[in-house]
Amino acid sequence: MTTLTLDVRDITKQFGDGDNAVTAVRGVSLAVAPGEVVLIMGPSGSGKTTLLSMMGALLRPSSGSIHLDGTEISALSEGRLPAIRLRQFGFIFQDFNLLSALSVRENVALVAELAGLKARVARDKASTLLTDLGLGERLDFLPEKLSGGEKQRVAIARALINDPSLILADEPTANLDSKIGHEIMRLLRRVAKEQGRSVVIVSHDQRIRDIADRVLWLEDGAFKDMVTMATDPVCGMAVERERAVSQDRDGETYFFCSNGCRAEFLAADGQGPRGWIRAASVLISRSSTPDRGGRGGD
Amino acid sequence: MSATWVLARRNLAGNRVRLLVSVGGVALALSLTIALEAIFAGVANQLTTYVDRAGADVWVAQAGVRNLHMVASWLPDSVTDQVRSVDGVADASPILYSTDTIAAGDERAVAYVIGLPPDAAMGRPWNVVDGSDQLGPGEVIVDRGFASQAGVSIGDEVTVLGGEARVVGLSDGTASLVNSVAFVSFEDFAAMRGGAPVVSFVLVKVASGASPEEVAAEIERVVPGVTAQSRAAFAVQERRLVMDMSADVIAIMNAVGFAVGLAVVALTVYVATLARRREYGALKALGARNRFLYGVVLSQAVLSVALGFLVGLAFTELISLAVAQTDLNLDLAISAASLAKVGLFAAVIAGLAAILPIRQIAGLDPAVVFRKGAAL
Repeated sequence: MTTLTLDVRDITKQFGDGDNAVTAVRGVSLAVAPGEVVLIMGPSGSGKTTLLSMMGALLRPSSGSIHLDGTEISALSEGRLPAIRLRQFGFIFQDFNLLSALSVRENVALVAELAGLKARVARDKASTLLTDLGLGERLDFLPEKLSGGEKQRVAIARALINDPSLILADEPTANLDSKIGHEIMRLLRRVAKEQGRSVVIVSHDQRIRDIADRVLWLEDGAFKDMVTMATDPVCGMAVERERAVSQDRDGETYFFCSNGCRAEFLAADGQGPRGWIRAASVLISRSSTPDRGGRGGD
Repeated sequence: MSATWVLARRNLAGNRVRLLVSVGGVALALSLTIALEAIFAGVANQLTTYVDRAGADVWVAQAGVRNLHMVASWLPDSVTDQVRSVDGVADASPILYSTDTIAAGDERAVAYVIGLPPDAAMGRPWNVVDGSDQLGPGEVIVDRGFASQAGVSIGDEVTVLGGEARVVGLSDGTASLVNSVAFVSFEDFAAMRGGAPVVSFVLVKVASGASPEEVAAEIERVVPGVTAQSRAAFAVQERRLVMDMSADVIAIMNAVGFAVGLAVVALTVYVATLARRREYGALKALGARNRFLYGVVLSQAVLSVALGFLVGLAFTELISLAVAQTDLNLDLAISAASLAKVGLFAAVIAGLAAILPIRQIAGLDPAVVFRKGAAL
């Protein structure tokens, strides 16, 4: 039997008491195998961040348990959690959260030093890792001198430096353009497959679904059946196929957020479906850029 | 270098304006304290210069008199012979002493006036830079600093002990911020004070190999009505008197320096921590323990204060050098004890300044790093 890297068992997280109680996550279970890439998607306020915080031992579940490499981390004392986070988790944040005063190499080496490596060993290990990730020319740069993609690669190196079994990534492509975002996701997939590390990603980004082994949909604090998403060719909104208004035309099915969009689609005589498809692809491209206006977590 | 120090140092260097404000504020606050202590210590040293340079191993005074400054000591002149007969005494020489003013034209200055017997072996001016070191009737040797300020030169008349005396010599190293030393003949001094057969102090040279402290004790045992102290003990009493007189001023200025230094460092370290709160949150999320983060904050405070201390010390040294180039009879004496005290001040400032930021970090939720755009 393969040992699971992460085994989340029926966890619930409730904030507040009585009438003011809010249940952010309810009865969620999730098993992640070594080398598996799991993508958790869902609308804002669905509980993604709360779930990620609990999986990362940053927040305790109100009920249920979380096991990492066979150890129930949700039962460990607060004093033991920093060591777990340091050695068994790798975190990747949307905003990178690199230390602005330290160089690229120092940012990565610091985490290794915190885990007990001697400064010189940590420095050498960080240099090797960063060079492997294509940052060999940037070792002594400050983060402010890097592009978004480079910053995220530094964050990935920092996440990998202590050889964690699980990498948790929070909206890793949100501040990156489409091309760089895909590069980063392919890099994460390569890390998972070549090094046998599990990767759990929380994201709104539909375009990174292809790199995941599994895609889960979190809504109202619970995993729901996975829906197939489509893009409204008129307004560009992501819609669930099963719930959307649809229209067949020239042998193809189009999905709309509302009857208004469908009416506009049908009224567009002369442009024809091809025009809308082109429009849709443009709209998809536009929505694929980082959602800078909607950064709010759950 | 440990990760704590590296991060603390880089955090400080990352914002040079903040670093300058912090280090500059501490430097000014601590230099205020160091300079003031140095001034008083310098004055105390200057006031004991005569005691240190008079050449006596033991000072014998009227019973109960333990220092020179602002005291009156009168002993029968027979005491000198009594002292000479004590075991361990190689030589004894009387002096007359009074705190008085010397005046030349409109210039008046406070002075220790010393009445010296002819060919006195002890108590003489040790560095006469102009004129003669021999005193005759109606003659005086004054400090050259006073002479310069008063426009007096060899052969001019000055007023001392209520009479006129002709300047025959200018001595060096006999002035302080508050007074100078003037020398007249023993006979003139006695005559100006009514001719009573008294002396103020008996200066004693001990025999080779004898202990000044033991000889002083023996003098007190054998000669009635005197207090005898070794030169070192006498000088300590003199310094203590000056430091006691200035203790309140020093305490107030220390408190001001401490408060200013603390306020500056506390504010800058707090602001620096606040500005990097998200980074500290990220470090917590990554697994850094609180004690590491506390160490970074404390190290920043310590580095700021240590740099401020060094800059403040250098600044005080510069002031000292600058003062030495002026006509002021001021000598800034930066003592090891003073530095140790100010260093302790600085350490306490660093510790206190780190408390608030440490409390801030202690309450920081590491999960905050997942809250995008959240106010931290």
